[in-house]
Amino acid sequence: MAGLYASMSYGLALIYGVLKIINLANAGFLMLGAYVTWWLFTSYHVHPLLAPLVIVPAFFFLGWGLERTLVRRVLGAEPIISLLLLFGVWLVLQNTAYVIWTGDTRSIETPFVEATVNVGGLQLAVPRLYVFAMGVLVLIALQLFLTRTFLGRAIRATAQDRDAARLVGVDVERVMGIAFGIGIALAGFGGSLLSLLFSFTPDFGRTLSLKSFCIVVLGGLDSIVGVAFGALSLALAEAFGVRYMPASLQNLISFVVLVVVLIALPRGIAGTVRALRRG
Amino acid sequence: MGKPAAYAAIALAALCAVPFVAPHSEYAIEVLFLIFLYGAMATAWNLLGGFAGQVSFGHAAFLGIGAYATTIMIASGVSLWLAVPASALLAGVYSLVIGIPAFRLRGPYFSIATIGIGEATRLIALNWTSLTGGASGLTLASAPPLVVQYFAALALLVASVGLAAWIRVSRFGYALAAVRQDTDAAETLGVATTVTKTQALFLSACILGVAGSVYALHYLFISPDSVFGFSTSISLVIMPIIGGLGTVTGPLIGAVVYTFIREQFAATLANVDLLAFGILLIAIVVFEPRGILGIVDRVRAMRRRSRAAGAGADG
Repeated sequence: MAGLYASMSYGLALIYGVLKIINLANAGFLMLGAYVTWWLFTSYHVHPLLAPLVIVPAFFFLGWGLERTLVRRVLGAEPIISLLLLFGVWLVLQNTAYVIWTGDTRSIETPFVEATVNVGGLQLAVPRLYVFAMGVLVLIALQLFLTRTFLGRAIRATAQDRDAARLVGVDVERVMGIAFGIGIALAGFGGSLLSLLFSFTPDFGRTLSLKSFCIVVLGGLDSIVGVAFGALSLALAEAFGVRYMPASLQNLISFVVLVVVLIALPRGIAGTVRALRRG
Repeated sequence: MGKPAAYAAIALAALCAVPFVAPHSEYAIEVLFLIFLYGAMATAWNLLGGFAGQVSFGHAAFLGIGAYATTIMIASGVSLWLAVPASALLAGVYSLVIGIPAFRLRGPYFSIATIGIGEATRLIALNWTSLTGGASGLTLASAPPLVVQYFAALALLVASVGLAAWIRVSRFGYALAAVRQDTDAAETLGVATTVTKTQALFLSACILGVAGSVYALHYLFISPDSVFGFSTSISLVIMPIIGGLGTVTGPLIGAVVYTFIREQFAATLANVDLLAFGILLIAIVVFEPRGILGIVDRVRAMRRRSRAAGAGADG
């Protein structure tokens, strides 16, 4: 679960870090990623594991275009305006999906999805292991990209201080478009992974997206490593919580954690650690 | 009496006359009833979301509490006259319980927390089966006549719009505007920002509580997904934004547009209405954040300019 939670939250953290806006449409892109995977599988018999090869570039351009045409116009306005804009985008995505794919529950069934392996006496579902591995892999790749490449460094510079980045010659507008594109691509990738584990409807992603907010807030809104920790904490909290309360209330845990964390640690785990270190 | 007040009085008189002039056009009365109800709900949301700039995505919680409280009380034999105020108060008290911690958050963080609060409230309602009947919901045996409902909803609308109009020009309203524009500056100038926001939330929740009562008595059936549903919270956000955020008449215009679009699409395809609202929301946020009222202002300004230009050419 932790790997899954992490992979659906990276994009949110990246977009917040660079553009300082909260991508409320994240749920919509997760859902869309899942549907595109399903659609490629049922119509073109594309193996669900290969779907990200199409989804990641396509969603990157989708996100990049969205930033160019709409998001850019509201960047200077109050934060609530961008929140409402992305809320509108989410409504459009969700209800377009209802119109195209109806509200029926969809799921992807291949031998891979049902496979299990025996590791040291534990029956583990292969897709879950795969999703966990992907969560870790994306973390490593993203961390390398952000620290080792020029573009990655430009993204971090823009996240830290937009004006200073501009002063040292970073094309801030371009970087923001790319960062938004990567964020959306990560959401699509996360959605594609999710489609391996869960059945979905166009409303899919709302509960999960709340968990993403929870994770990102837990981790500190702009730290990729923090997101991984946040995902792990939430997955553990849920796993333990279920022992003491009915499973139907499991989703309640993340909302309670979200609200408690927002109020108690508004800077998240990473921010709190940083603040403590600074003393 | 000022010009807007005179218009309002004429409109009110006309609306009061409708059920007597056309007692058989039940559909029209039903649509007007819905507009009143939605208008009151949008006005209530706007007190916090528009006047104070605290956008809440979880306001369905208060509607739901009002609806459930009324249904449960009436089903166990409590008089209507007691049940409705009690429902309002219950919604108000609940708003204090969640508002006091939530208002430690600002702007977008508050908004996200409200999504969580709304969902948590829905899940509690869904799982507290002994009280709420769970997913199968609750029903009431009989509704008051439609005309009575019509006037109840109209009264609620008039009361909430009156309250909004009064708040707008009161000291309290200016404090809310200060909070919206710059919370820190407001605090520095001596506005107790948290208290002010909490008061706005309380009033907003009480109105929604009564709206919940009206809703429950109209539909006679409530379930966690209808009254506590996220789509209810969405509609509360959409209406004031369409009309004009933070104005008195904006939420009313929004409610009219919302009800018509919904009625148009209700017969054809589900969810097309929400798709239309999504597009409308994006367009408004990007091009005219002040909503329909903003567009009206622009058109007026353009006319005035062209008239002035025309007068100049003549002279």
